[in-house]
Formats: sequence, C-alpha cells, structure tokens
Amino acid sequence: MLELKGLTKHFGGVRAVDNVDLSVAQGEILGLIGPNGSGKSTIVNLICGLFPLTSGQVILRGTDISQVPPHTRVGMGIARTFQNIRLFGQLTVWQNLWVAQNSAEQVGNENFLRRWLGGPRRARADIDRALAFFDLAHKRDELAANLAFGEQRRLEFARALAARPALVLLDEPAAGMNAEEIDQLDARIRKLRTEGVTILLIEHHVELVMAVTDRIAVLNFGQKIAEGTPAEVQANPLVREAYLGTATAA
Amino acid sequence: MDYLDFIDSVQSVADGVLFGATYALLGIGFTLIFGVMHKINLSFAAASIGAAYASLLILAGVKAPPALVFLLAALCGGGIGALVYLVGFRFIPLANPLATLMSTVGLLLLIDEIIVHTTQGVPLNYPALFSDVIIRAGPFNLRGDLMFVFALGCACMTLLLALLYRTRLGLATRAVSQQPVAAELCGISITNVNILTFVITGVVGGLAGAMIGAAIGMLSPLLSLPLTVKGLIVTVIGGLGSIPGAIIAGLLVGGLENLFQFFRGVSERDLYIMLLLFAFLVFRPGGLFAPRAGRD
Amino acid sequence: MDFYLGLIQIIGVHTLLGLSAYCVLLTGQVSLAQAGFFAIGAYVAGMLTVLAGWPIIPALIAASLVAGAMACAVGFPALRVKGLMLVVATTAFGEAVRLFFFNFNYQLERGGFRLGPHGGEGFRQIRYFPEHGWSTLDVMLFIWAVVVLVMAALWWMDRSRAGAVLRAVGEDELAAQSSGINVTAVKVTAMTVGGVIAGAGGGLFAHYTTHIEHVQFGVVLATFAVAYPILGGLSNVFGTLLAVIFIQGFLIEGLRFMGDWRNLLFGGLIVLAMNVRPRGLIDAGAIAALRRLLRNKERAGA
Repeated sequence: MLELKGLTKHFGGVRAVDNVDLSVAQGEILGLIGPNGSGKSTIVNLICGLFPLTSGQVILRGTDISQVPPHTRVGMGIARTFQNIRLFGQLTVWQNLWVAQNSAEQVGNENFLRRWLGGPRRARADIDRALAFFDLAHKRDELAANLAFGEQRRLEFARALAARPALVLLDEPAAGMNAEEIDQLDARIRKLRTEGVTILLIEHHVELVMAVTDRIAVLNFGQKIAEGTPAEVQANPLVREAYLGTATAA
Repeated sequence: MDYLDFIDSVQSVADGVLFGATYALLGIGFTLIFGVMHKINLSFAAASIGAAYASLLILAGVKAPPALVFLLAALCGGGIGALVYLVGFRFIPLANPLATLMSTVGLLLLIDEIIVHTTQGVPLNYPALFSDVIIRAGPFNLRGDLMFVFALGCACMTLLLALLYRTRLGLATRAVSQQPVAAELCGISITNVNILTFVITGVVGGLAGAMIGAAIGMLSPLLSLPLTVKGLIVTVIGGLGSIPGAIIAGLLVGGLENLFQFFRGVSERDLYIMLLLFAFLVFRPGGLFAPRAGRD
Repeated sequence: MDFYLGLIQIIGVHTLLGLSAYCVLLTGQVSLAQAGFFAIGAYVAGMLTVLAGWPIIPALIAASLVAGAMACAVGFPALRVKGLMLVVATTAFGEAVRLFFFNFNYQLERGGFRLGPHGGEGFRQIRYFPEHGWSTLDVMLFIWAVVVLVMAALWWMDRSRAGAVLRAVGEDELAAQSSGINVTAVKVTAMTVGGVIAGAGGGLFAHYTTHIEHVQFGVVLATFAVAYPILGGLSNVFGTLLAVIFIQGFLIEGLRFMGDWRNLLFGGLIVLAMNVRPRGLIDAGAIAALRRLLRNKERAGA
C-alpha cells in the first residue's frame, strides 16, 4: 500500500527524518512509536505532502507521489488526523464532513454543479452514517468550535474518513482520552480494519498500540531503530534504550 | 544622457536616500508593531504626522527653537502611540485580526479629521534645522537640512536597536513577540510590554513626522495616505518584522523614488514604486531579510 | 425625491463593492484591491458605451469580465503572500490601477466632441442613461436589480457546499488542504468572482455619476470595500448590506445634522464598533439570538 524509501527531511541543521525505509501492507495496522521529537509527526506530514522532501520517495500503491500536492494525495486515498485538532470551528459538524468529501470517486460520481452548488437539504446518507458511527448525530448542526474535547476528537477522526481513504494516518488520536474513550477508539479502529482500510497509527499510549497494531516501527532521532510485531518490539533492547536511556556507571 | 543630466540624477538619488531615512523610520514603526503583536497598525503614519502637528500647535505663538519642536513631536508621538494601543488594540480579542485592522483604519480616519478640523485644512509650515547650510562635494550639493534629517534618523535607529537588543525591556519585547503566553507565565506583563512597544514606536513615528515636516518644509493632512502606503511598502520590501530590513528598504525606496521621478516625472513615479514592490513579491516574497522558515 | 433616489443608488453600488470584498474575505484573504477592480469596471464600461456605442447591458457584462480576468491574474501571485503582506500587496495593486488611470489618455472624436478618459481630468460625459431617456428612478431600479441578483447568488452560495468550502479555507488552510480541498483553486476563484462583482459595480457607478476620475478609486474606497463586510459581519450577505446602509446613510444623511463633524465621528464610530462588536454587526451569535427571538414570538402568538 505505502512505501517510504530513504525518506529524509532536514530543517536547517536539524535532521528531523533521516533515511527512513518503511513499508505498510494493504489492510494492516502499523504502529509508529518513538520518544518526543523522534520525527513521527514529520513523517506524517511528509506522507501527506505538507512539507517538501529533502530526499527519498513516498510511493502509494506503486506510484511515486513525492511531487504530488497535498490535496491531490487525498483524492488518491490518503487521509490524516491532526495531533492538535484542526477542525473548521465556524462550520457545523455536518459541514466539516461535507467539505472533506474529496476522494477521486466522490468527485467523479457527481455532476460538478450539483456537487458545488447543491444545498444541504439533499439527503446525504453517507454523512449521516458517519455521524452515527462516531456517535455525533445529535450534534449535527452544532458549530465544531462548541463541541466537547472528546467530541472534537471523534469529529477529527470522522473527517479523515469522509473522503473514503484507503490509507488513514492517525496522529496521536488517544491523547487526552480517558480509558472508556480509548476502548471506543480501539473498537472503531478495528471496525475500520474490517472494511479494508490500512491504518498508520502514531501513538504514545503503549497499551493501545500493543493491543491494536499488527506491526510496530520505532523511531529515534529521525531514524528507524526497530521494526516488528508488538512482542518483538517490546523485547528489543534498542527500544528500551531509546525510551529509558542507557545505564550509567553508578 | 549627458554629463550634467548624470550629475543631476545622482544628486536626486542622494537627496532621496537622505529623505529615505524618514521612510525607514516609518517602516520600522510598522514592522515593530507587526513583530510584537502580529497585527498591522494602519494608523501609524497618520499618527506620526499628527504628532508633528501636535508639536506645532502646542508651541503655537511661542518662538521655540526647532530642536524643541522635534523633541515635542517625538514625545507627542509616544503619547498618541499609547492612546492608539488602548483604543485600537487593548480590548479587541487577539484572535480577531480583522477587527484590529478595521479599528486602526478608523483611527487613521479619526486622526486625519482631527488634523483637518484643527487646522481648517491649511498646510502649516514646519521648522527645519540647517536649512541654509549647503555642503559642496565636487559637483554635488548636500543640503544641510536633509543631512540633519538623515543623521537624526540614523541616531534614532541606533538607539532603537540598542534598546531592543541590549536591554531587558528589549528582551521582554522579543519574548512577547515569540511566545506571548509563555512570556506571561514568566512574569512579563503583556499589556505593559505592548503599551511600551506602542510608546516607543510612537516616539519613533513622532520623530519621523517631524523629520518629514522639516525636509519638506511643511505639513499637510494630505500626507497621511501616501505615507501609509509608502511605509507599508518599505515594511514589506524589508521583510515583515525585520528592523534592519526596514532601514535598508527605506533608504532604497527613498533613493529610487527620486530616481523614477527624475526620469519619468512625478505622475508616474509612484507607479514604479508599486512595480518594485510587485517584483519583490514575485521574486522575494519574504522581503530583504526574510525570517527563516520554522518546523511548524 | 431625487436626493433619496441618489442615496439609494449609492447604497446599491457600494453594496456591490462590499459584496465583492465579502467573497474574498470568506477565504481569509484581506484584499484592498477591490477598488482597483471597481475602477477597471468603471472605465471599461464607460469606454464601451461612450466610445464604442455599446448598449448598457453588454457593456456591463464585458466590464465585469475584464475586471474578473484582472482579478484572476492578481489571484495567483496573491497566493504567495499571506495575511498582512497581502493587504499591502493589494493596496499597492489598487494604487497602481489608480495611477494607471491618472496617466491614461484615450480620447476619440464622437459627435463633434472629444470624449474618453483624459488622464488627471478623468472621464467625463458618460451620458448613456440621460441620452436614452432613463429617469433617476429607472437607474435606481436597474442598479438594485443587479444588487438583488448578486445577493441572491451569494446567498445561494453560502448555503451550498461551495460556501462551506470557502469558509473552510478561510479558517484553516492547512486542514483544508489535508482534507483534499484545492486551496489554490478556491482562493483564485473567490478573487475572480470578487473581481466580477466589483467590475459590475464600477460599471454602474460610472454611468450614474457620468463623470469618473482616478481620485475616487483610491485607498479610502478600498478600505470602505472591506469595511462593509467586516463591520457587517461575515456570516451572511445581509450584514454587508446593513453596514452599507448604515455607513452611507450616516455619512450622507449625517451631513444634515452634524455638518462637518460627520467625518470625525465616522472614524470614531468604526473604532467603537470594533471594540464593542469585533465580529461585526451580524455575526453567528446575533443570528442565533434572532432565531430564538422569532421562535419565542411564534410560540407566544400560537
């Protein structure tokens, strides 16, 4: 599904991402973990095209998309959530999903004028379904800025799915959630996988990552230091060193 | 172009660069406010002219030495600056740039109208220093009053840079501009820093107004809008938020303005200044001293 | 009576100017170039009816399209500058247009007179309406027909997906891009539509005043153009209309009661308004309150 080859990004003198190779197979859930500042969010931004690459390639389903602009990548099947939620606050919940329906099929299936100039009164079953899945149907006409934090997180997730992506990048979706919300998140991620969506999950919440992912890649200082199943990664000494540091002579 | 024309053109460029010090001061004012508050104060040029007017009106009927008039203009500028902050920025939510844009437009109109009302729209003469001094350097004449304006402008810029980079106040100002919330948590009062920034830029502006009056010989309310436009252009060419940029851009615009005027006349002069701005926006949108792009 | 018709004409034309800025402001671009497109529309429409003998409606359409094309050309480089630099760039563009017309001479012999734009003197004798027997009332109705048309179109847009997308871009470009919206296309389109509306307004302006000159299209008009939607509130088109009525009514009617003080108070009024209601006269909160009021009235009446 997705292949990163030699992905590198420098910001001035800082090597945020340093020659990372990564493969995400179709339909799998890949976890991406690492200490703060290890380059996880930068990789997400590079995959989405928000930063230009310093070098390397991003390959989606066999096509090199390294030079493709961000909005077109969405049309090709990639979507993401933001770590600090970036909703359209002055638009309603419903409108937030409406403006995000930008997959190639959605654009192609509808007459141009109808798509742009059609009013909201036309029944949009797909948006209502998404709202029901995320338990936001009762807040349909509420301004996004007025939602509670948990609801905003769910809307952020829902919006990423509005364009029916093949690959979803979740950037720390569990941040600030309580145990019950994390259970719901876990359930939603699994449900998503049954629909054939590939997921790249960046998370600090170790239990969630270990429970829900098929494989995990570990970053430190912009480089990939480990990759494997959750069990393998847990046992890897390099990973422990990255998070906890090395033992010093007492 | 023959030799005499060449001499004349260089002469006008030189005069322009000297006058450009006033544009530099205006540019510094715009860029400082933008740097600290990330908002534009569109009333700044009008306030500067207003301060110059104030100095005249306060000392009306008194035969005051020009130096005193200039000093008073600077002080009035500071006062007007504080007022502008209180009325145009203090109570408007930070997240609403459109509202502060409009409020400064309102202030611009207000200040202009106050000037027109108190002077009945009649231009006033402004005192100059060294106006009868002319230094000859080869085939060129250097006007004393322009040189004084230039020198004073340079002194002001140096003092300002020293203030920003060598004092605690300057450090606090730079802290607030980069991370207002964190600065507040460190005990820096944002309101105080903002007021002080406006006062300082107001002083700079008042001085600029006085210098403009001295260089032209008179003040008129018709000056506000063209100066606002030129000041903003200087700010953008220099790079938003960069004081060295504003200085160099001010001198550049001053010199080129006169050059364009020499070759194409007054009516087309400003058109070329606009084209200069567009050239910068296309080839160097960050300005002369573009701030380096960060991670976010 | 003619005085009030004239006032309504001015309100109509300024509403078009305000609506042209409204479009662009929705996408988060503060454009002080609308007065420039307005000027282009005015001169082009004038030249077409006076020098080329065109009827008014084709002339207006052509003028709008030319202004729109110019706006499209401005829209692309405008993408490279953000926020306040855009303010400066568009101000400079507007000034450049004004200076262009200050220097623009194009006169032809028509019916024994030399007619056409004449540099600093302006463009006189745009007499299409008087020559074709239009009364002041006819002109006023014509202007307002265009205004109603534009307002209806923008109202429709606001309720459609296009309106939501425009506002999404205005709120958060990064999020919009990441949701698949082609921000470039949206911003340039908004700028173009704004240019078309401003051009129409300018063309109408030229014909009802019959004499235009560069001074009228300066920075002050440009700031008025954005002042209307900002003061009126960006949540819907009626805010802009209300702001125009209020400001022009105040400025012109205020002449009677306050004499010279109106200009002074005008600036002060803007400052006060922005402090008290930063989101404009009609913002989302006001609309919600209005809805609640109407609902209560219905319940009381029933």
